[in-house]
Amino acid sequence: MTVTTVTPTSDVDLYSDESVLAPYDNYRMLRDIGSAVWLSRYQVWAMARYAEVYAALHDYETFSSGSGVGLSEELNQVMAGGTIGSDPPDHDRLRRVIGRQLTPKALRQHQDHVQQRAAALVEELVERGSFDAVPEFAQRFPVSMIPDLLGWPENETGNLLAWASAGFNALGPMNERTMAGFPVLKNLWEFLDELATSRNLRPDSWGANLVAAVDSGEVEAGKLSVLLGDFLVPSLDTTVSALASALWLFGNNPEQWRKVRADPSLIPAAFNEVVRLETPARGFCRLVARDHELSDGVTMTAGSRLFLLYASANRDERVFTDPDAFDVTRPNVASHLGFGHGIHGCVGQGLARMEAHALIRELVARVEHIEVGEPTWRRHNTIRGLAALPTTLHT
Amino acid sequence: MRIIVDRDRCEGHGVCETAAPDLFQIDDEGDLVFHLDGHDIPEAQWDAATNSVLTCPVAALKLEN
Repeated sequence: MTVTTVTPTSDVDLYSDESVLAPYDNYRMLRDIGSAVWLSRYQVWAMARYAEVYAALHDYETFSSGSGVGLSEELNQVMAGGTIGSDPPDHDRLRRVIGRQLTPKALRQHQDHVQQRAAALVEELVERGSFDAVPEFAQRFPVSMIPDLLGWPENETGNLLAWASAGFNALGPMNERTMAGFPVLKNLWEFLDELATSRNLRPDSWGANLVAAVDSGEVEAGKLSVLLGDFLVPSLDTTVSALASALWLFGNNPEQWRKVRADPSLIPAAFNEVVRLETPARGFCRLVARDHELSDGVTMTAGSRLFLLYASANRDERVFTDPDAFDVTRPNVASHLGFGHGIHGCVGQGLARMEAHALIRELVARVEHIEVGEPTWRRHNTIRGLAALPTTLHT
Repeated sequence: MRIIVDRDRCEGHGVCETAAPDLFQIDDEGDLVFHLDGHDIPEAQWDAATNSVLTCPVAALKLEN
């Protein structure tokens, strides 16, 4: 008997400038050629279709995070053992320590404060009229709030965006973007080690709660700096991306903006649609822990690495009708994988939603039309997002 | 068909409530209320039940047939 092994292969470079700036045609091409595609340039599998990405995210025994979720061994060796770089039962213990502060229930006490900050920012921007939405809107809001919630030392907030950006770049291959970020990351890790030792965190803050979890023996002291980093790094760049993309998409689709203004109960679905269509983190890797055969015969052998392309799954025409369209009334939008899914599903998604909903609510109340100019997209290994977006708010 | 709620994993995102409002509610305290813990799901609710399990963002729900 002859066994035919099917190995759909592509030499596409998902990390070239061209591909990073306009990724969606490549994603479609990968979806078209197989349930998993071998990326010959990087010697990893890629999954680009929704069903397979979803199934992999829900099968942590086959698709392990324990040896890191980046593309390069260099990064994976460093990140293994943190919250996103671990499997149950270790993962569940770390996740709980971070997650219980970020549940929608736990976040309720911050709701009024966040809404007031959103109102103040939108009011100021409306008054100003024209501005660059990336620094003035998308970056400014989370950066003005997250360090405070974390209890971060006040004089140490200047590097946060650079640290977060370098952290996500390093998930990619060992290219120039990653290499340029490594010294920045090293600086972050040194800072986190110092912070774990000095414990210079405001009482009753999220950071102080992590210290308490160490002191009660819930997690070992050596994990404190990792947990502080797990809290900080993912909370900025992703949210910044989604907030700027929201303005860009509403600016380009005024009829969708009118729908949300006419019915603000659409705000949660509209934000889901932003995250679906311009998924901030394009994806994460897993290690194939045991041989695995997919429904179309593609077989991945144990020990290979697999890149799960959330941003492609979210535009899979098999799941989302007219997938490239921005539609705030899309019926199955809540199924998107923009926050990942399953046990590693974004622990901060409640916080991201709270921030975004608050801002959109204030915009809906005041802004009739969002005018956007020519966007500049970031050249980044992991984050899909705007670098600049000229914006004018019309009331 | 039954649904098992893993209370350790549930973070109360409330996606199940949107998918199956007759089965799940997030109460005023922010806690998940599941009305059919340990009971069979009525056939009319099977689609909604399946959808709630599939869309739970943190894999806190499991179907048991």
